[in-house]
Amino acid sequence: MSRSQRVDSTGFNSLFREALSRWQEEVVQLDLVDPVTTEMVRLRCAEHHDCHT
Amino acid sequence: MRESTSDFFERVLGGRTRVVKELGNIHDLAWEVTDKEILGLCKLRIAMILGCESEAKSMGKQLNSLKVSDLSQWPTSNHFSDLEKSCLRFTEEFIIDVASIPDDSAFAIRDDLGDEGFVNFVNALLVIEQRMRLLIVWQKMFEGVTV
Repeated sequence: MSRSQRVDSTGFNSLFREALSRWQEEVVQLDLVDPVTTEMVRLRCAEHHDCHT
Repeated sequence: MRESTSDFFERVLGGRTRVVKELGNIHDLAWEVTDKEILGLCKLRIAMILGCESEAKSMGKQLNSLKVSDLSQWPTSNHFSDLEKSCLRFTEEFIIDVASIPDDSAFAIRDDLGDEGFVNFVNALLVIEQRMRLLIVWQKMFEGVTV
């Protein structure tokens, strides 16, 4: 199993890509969880998902 | 009549209207950029694995009844195409351990749908999965009922 990028993850439907970015931006701006915890969770998820963005 | 998942999210998220809007937007687009029948099968399989009865019931009504009844035995069923089986295999691996998906599972879909189609499918799957996990957790938190 490879943990490197299998395909270019930016080359997909542009409307969908932009909408996902807006969704993520809105989520990280929620203020019920403190910023440090939010960032720790975000980084942990990114690592687990092999997210390079 | 059961409250729709979208209405439930809107009620839970309250005045956070921009989050509600973007959550609805990515969900709509997930269905637009992928084959609806394949994504529907994958959504139903996710609901079965995560134990989300409301979504499983709702999705089961919208799909081919032969496929629905065979879905938990899809590897040996002859009701599914090769692409459907590849997508279901990827879906199960994605739900159970997203960090350990074998290359073969990914490449089987990529070889059929192309790079763009594959990435669309994976992102659509992510949206469906996250939405269902949110539904399960929030229903338990805010409703105290089975999902």
